[in-house]
Amino acid sequence: MDPLLDAIRFEPPAPVEFTQAWRWQQQLRERLLNNPAAPEALLLLQHPPCYTLGRGASTAFLRFDPQAPPAPLHRIDRGGEVTHHLPGQLVLYPVLDLQRHGADLHCYLRALEGVVITVLAELGLDGERIEGLTGVWLEGRKLAAIGVGARRWISQHGLALNVNCDLTGFEAIVPCGLKGRAVARLSDWCPGITPALVQPLLSRACAEAFGLTLRPPQPTERLWRC
Amino acid sequence: MPALSSTMTEGKIVEWLKQPGDRVERGESVLVVESDKADMDVEAFQEGFLAAVLMQAGGTAPVGETIGLIVESEAEIAAAQAGAPSAPAAAPAPAAAPAPPSPVAAPAAPAAVPAASLPVAVPVAVAPAAGNGRVVATPRARKLASQLGVTLEALKGSGPHGRIQAEDVERAAGQPASVARVAEGSAPFTAAASASAPAAAGAPSGAAANGSAAPAGQSFGRPGETVAFTTLQGAVNRNMLASLTVPCFHVGYTITTDRLDAFYKQVKSKGVTMTALLAKAVGVVLARHPQVNAAASEAGMVYPAAVNVAIAVAMDDGGLVTPVLKEADRTDLYSLSRNWADLVARSRTKQLKPDEYSTGTFTLSNLGMFGVDRFDAILPPGTGAILAVAASRPTVVANADGSIAVKRQMQVNLTADHRVIYGAHGAAFLKDLADLIEHRPESLAL
Repeated sequence: MDPLLDAIRFEPPAPVEFTQAWRWQQQLRERLLNNPAAPEALLLLQHPPCYTLGRGASTAFLRFDPQAPPAPLHRIDRGGEVTHHLPGQLVLYPVLDLQRHGADLHCYLRALEGVVITVLAELGLDGERIEGLTGVWLEGRKLAAIGVGARRWISQHGLALNVNCDLTGFEAIVPCGLKGRAVARLSDWCPGITPALVQPLLSRACAEAFGLTLRPPQPTERLWRC
Repeated sequence: MPALSSTMTEGKIVEWLKQPGDRVERGESVLVVESDKADMDVEAFQEGFLAAVLMQAGGTAPVGETIGLIVESEAEIAAAQAGAPSAPAAAPAPAAAPAPPSPVAAPAAPAAVPAASLPVAVPVAVAPAAGNGRVVATPRARKLASQLGVTLEALKGSGPHGRIQAEDVERAAGQPASVARVAEGSAPFTAAASASAPAAAGAPSGAAANGSAAPAGQSFGRPGETVAFTTLQGAVNRNMLASLTVPCFHVGYTITTDRLDAFYKQVKSKGVTMTALLAKAVGVVLARHPQVNAAASEAGMVYPAAVNVAIAVAMDDGGLVTPVLKEADRTDLYSLSRNWADLVARSRTKQLKPDEYSTGTFTLSNLGMFGVDRFDAILPPGTGAILAVAASRPTVVANADGSIAVKRQMQVNLTADHRVIYGAHGAAFLKDLADLIEHRPESLAL
């Protein structure tokens, strides 16, 4: 594999509206589409409460009226069923040219799971994969949800790791369309843990998994004004 | 249906972004395919018009299945929709929609390259074959029909526009319509962990294409167990089964390697490996024997633009991959050696890109490091020939003048698709290869 790939790490200081983060990913993707040599990027952030549906997702897994959702509802260009984002949950959106990483979507999903498993291991927890149920699980409960989209092998969306968020918002949906499978958060095992503590672990694990050298954006690469 | 992953066997069509009749530009997204928790925009790899959608959104199709038809001109839309494209086989006109093999514009798939070495399929089908009495059938249906001895002409297709589906063939053959899907598509490369290490001297690591060549004593299960095939093993199995439909023959040659061995000793310190030497030799000779570099397809004999030598590498956890040394005839020996080391290292960590293991035009399989004196290999689908290389061993040889000498000799055995490569082609190729190795191995460094 290439020695180490140049990648920009974006870490917005405050929660970002879903649509804003989505636009940023599109911007980063366009950059990669137009310039195959452009750097890859990681977005690490939190969202205000919202629900998102994969492009092919069924509304049957919503326990509310899609016309009157309890929080903003977005149908987005990723795979998978409905999920919920909110503060206290860390999302990682790698915008990668997957052709530099094996050009294999399933391997990419497994690699994202691996990133979370690495983070959990550093916290002394034994996260696991369940065959056929993409995501990362701890003691039978889902800790991280994964859903990605790609165009010309440029990835978008990624993973959401519940750190210390309130879990009641998940009751309004059947997360990922999986009935009878509970969601969980890291703070149930690591009291006092916060996204700020997990964020560097997550970014480091991701950089290692994909062979990236992370750096802050240069002035011309900024997505937002500081 | 493009393969978006080596482990993908089928995909769900989430949405058609274009409707029949719509113009599509090259590189424009035509549909969205979902597999597991991943979506991929599938793009057209040539411009034209979406003529027909053979699988509606929400439907699931096996990798390699034709899911839509793109035609070159508006005029052909109606013909394609009627299942009778006006274009003769020559025109690429009614190309199947997605599965673009281009590395750039592509959700290209391991399996998408027609000349793929192991990855079998030509997912791009065979547009509905044509009107007058000609049969419209899926590639899989055709294959099954030939395997099961069913006459397609006699069948009524249940597919879109009366296309004959595999299920129709199975029904006609009296088989349950659940027969395992054979050949179509899915690619062999997968999350397999590590390649069997190339032997220390840089001897090529390899395995017989029949998969029987695991390192000595290796087993994937314990006595009494039945162990499921891994994804990679399953993919290899499908490819191997597909080769049963190919009329193969074998032709062998004994090559004296004293001079090659001596040359190898000289260049070894410069990082040259025996694998690279053999690949280079095969590449150079293939360039002069394009017929042996060719492969059969439905359209006829396919002559690849380059000589890409694939080399079988057994994976420790089962199955095998075929990393490709591209343009082996034109690439210098030192680069080939470096490239090979890199390919093997990355195949262990499953970092190979599809075009690094699926674009071979000719395959080498080497079991020399085990000391075997001869074997034959199974032809990887999509290619015309594979060369099985055995060990080079000291042998008592009678010279032409009646004297006796001890020389190092190795047997090579070519498996070839007789539709493209005839005995004389194979023999002439081997004669040239032997001549190069026996008399001019130094020229490989030029």
